[in-house]
Amino acid sequence: MGGVSTAIDITLNSLVLGGVFLIVAIGLNIIYGLSRVMNLAHGSLYALGAYSGYTLVSTGLNFFVALLLAPLLVGVAGLLIERTVIAPMRSRSIVYTLILTYGLMFFIDGLIKYTWGNEPRFIDLPAFMRETLPILGTHYPVFRLMTLLITAVVMAGLMLFLSRTKTGMTLRASSTIPEMVSCLGVNMKYVHIGAFVLGSVLAGIAGIIAGPLTTIDPIMGHEMLISSFVVIVIGGLGSLRGAVIAALLIGAVQTLAEFFITDLAMVIVYMLMAIILAIKPRGILGEGKFE
Amino acid sequence: MMIDRTSIPADTKYLTPASIAAIAVVAVALVMLPFVWDNRFYISLINEMLIFGLLAMSLDVLLGYTGLLSFMHNAYLGIGAYVVGLFLIHISPTSIWFAALVGIAATSLIALPVGWVQVRTGGLAFALLTLAFGMMFHTVVWKWYSLTGGDDGLMGVPTPEVHLFGWSLGTTGDPKVMYLTTVVVVGLCYLLTRRIIHSPFGSVLEAIRENEDRAAFVGINVRRYKLYGWMLACMLASIAGALFILYKGYIGPTTMSAFSGAGVLMMVLLGGMGTLWGPLIGAVIFIYISDYISTMTEHWEIYLGLVVILLVLFLPTGFVGIGDHLKRFLKRKG
Repeated sequence: MGGVSTAIDITLNSLVLGGVFLIVAIGLNIIYGLSRVMNLAHGSLYALGAYSGYTLVSTGLNFFVALLLAPLLVGVAGLLIERTVIAPMRSRSIVYTLILTYGLMFFIDGLIKYTWGNEPRFIDLPAFMRETLPILGTHYPVFRLMTLLITAVVMAGLMLFLSRTKTGMTLRASSTIPEMVSCLGVNMKYVHIGAFVLGSVLAGIAGIIAGPLTTIDPIMGHEMLISSFVVIVIGGLGSLRGAVIAALLIGAVQTLAEFFITDLAMVIVYMLMAIILAIKPRGILGEGKFE
Repeated sequence: MMIDRTSIPADTKYLTPASIAAIAVVAVALVMLPFVWDNRFYISLINEMLIFGLLAMSLDVLLGYTGLLSFMHNAYLGIGAYVVGLFLIHISPTSIWFAALVGIAATSLIALPVGWVQVRTGGLAFALLTLAFGMMFHTVVWKWYSLTGGDDGLMGVPTPEVHLFGWSLGTTGDPKVMYLTTVVVVGLCYLLTRRIIHSPFGSVLEAIRENEDRAAFVGINVRRYKLYGWMLACMLASIAGALFILYKGYIGPTTMSAFSGAGVLMMVLLGGMGTLWGPLIGAVIFIYISDYISTMTEHWEIYLGLVVILLVLFLPTGFVGIGDHLKRFLKRKG
C-alpha cells in the first residue's frame, strides 16, 4: 500500500465518519434550535435506529426498505417521548430538562439491552455492497461509498426542505424569533413536536447507515452522543452551517487520531471541544445560540 | 469568607437550637452505632453511604447553590482516589494524612484549569463541558494501563494506620476504624460546608444561581465566584475520593464512568437539592435501593432511568420537599 492510497483511504474514511456525525448532530441541533431542548437521549435513539435496522434486515427485509422503515420507527418513538415527558418540561429550567433526558438515555439503553442483549450485532448487507471498488490504487468498500451517497442525499433533502418549502421556512423562522412566529398564528406546539420527530428520524437514519460501519452494541449511542455534542458545540449550538464544518473537522480529526494513536483518540477530540468553547463559545462561525 | 467589597449579608438563621440539636443527635448516634450494633455488613454499607453522601453534598454545592450542573462529579472523586491510592502504593504506605493532602492538592490542580475553562460558559454549555472533561478523565484512567491498571483498576492499596498526634486508632482494614474515620471526616466536612454556604460567600453563590446577570450588575465577579464554587465542590469530592480508596482498597474506571455520574446526580435529586443534608439522605436511599435492586435484576438501568424521569417530572424538590407537598395536598383537601 502506497502513501497515496493510504491518504485516499483516510480522506474517504473521515468523510464517511464526518457524514454520520453530521446527520446525528443536525438532528440534535434542530431539536435544540427549535425547542431549546438538549436531548441527551439522542445517542440512544441513534442506537435504537441501528438495532431496529438490524431486526428488520434479519427478518429478511431488503436493506433499502429497512433504511426507510427503521428511521420511521425511531420517529414514532420520538413522538411518544416528546408527548409524554418532554412537553411537560417546556416551562422548566434547562437543568431539569438535561437531567430528565439523561434519565431517558439510561431508560432507552436499558430497554435496548433488555431486548437485544449485550453481544454485538451485525447488519447483513446485500451482496453487491460487500464488494470493494478500486479508486486510485486503493480498494474501497462499496458500502462506505453508499453511506457517503446516502448522507449527501439526506443532507440535500433537508436543506431543500428547510430553504424551499413553506414548512421549512416556518421552522427556520421559529429558530430565530419564536415569539414572532407564534404571533403570526403558528401553533408552536406543532413546531416542537415536528422538531423532535424530525431529529429522531435523522438519528434513526444515522443509526442504520452506521450499523454496518461499526458493530452494533448497547454503548454505540454513548460514543455518538459525545461526538455529536462536540460537533454542535464546535459548530455553534443551533447553527446548521457550523455543524457541517465541525462534523467534517471532527470526522477528520478522529480518523487521523485513530490512525496514529489509537487509545487516546477521543481525548484529543474532547480537548479540541474544550479549547473551542473557551475561545469561541458561540462556535467556529459565531452563529451559536447560547442561553 | 471571601467578600468582594459587596455587602451581602450572611444567612444567620441557620443556627437554630433545633438544627444544632438534630446535628448533635445524628452525630452521637453515628459514632455510637458500631459499639452497640456490631454488624460488619451494615457498618460497611453505612460507611459507603456516608462517602457517597459527601460526594452528593459536594455536587449540591454546585447544583443546588450555584446552579451549575455537573454530570460527572464522580470524576473528581475518582481522581482523588487514584492519587491517594498511587501515593500509598508507590511513595509511602503509612502516611495517611499526607496522602489525603496530596490527593486533595492534586485534584485541585487538575480541577483548576478545567474550572477556569468551564466558568467562561454557563447553563447548558457548562453541563456539556463537565461531560466532555469527565469522559476525558475516564478515558485516560481506562487506557493508561501502566499507571492506573486500566480495566483491572488499582489493586493492592495498603491499609495505613489511622493516627493523630501519636495516638493510633487502628488500620483502615478494620471496618470499625474505617467507619469512625469516615464519620468524623464527613461530619467535619458537613459542618464546614454548612458554615461556608451560610456565609456571605454562600449568598453570592445563591445570587448567581437565581440570576447571573443581576448578580453581575450588583458588582459580583460571577466567573470568579463560580470558580470558587467549583473548586469547593471538587475539593470535597476529592476528600470523598480519599475516604473511598481507604474504605475499598480498590478503584476501577467504572467509578469514573458516566453511569456512576448519573447515580450521584440521582442522590442529589432524591434528597432534594439546595439543602446539603438532603443529598446525604439521598445517598442513603440510593445506595440502599441500588443494593437491593441489583440483587433482584440485572436490568436496573431501566429502573434507574425511570426513577430519574419520574423524579424530575413529579418530585423535583426530592425527599426534602415531600413535607411541603404533603402540606399543600392536605390544605387543598381540607
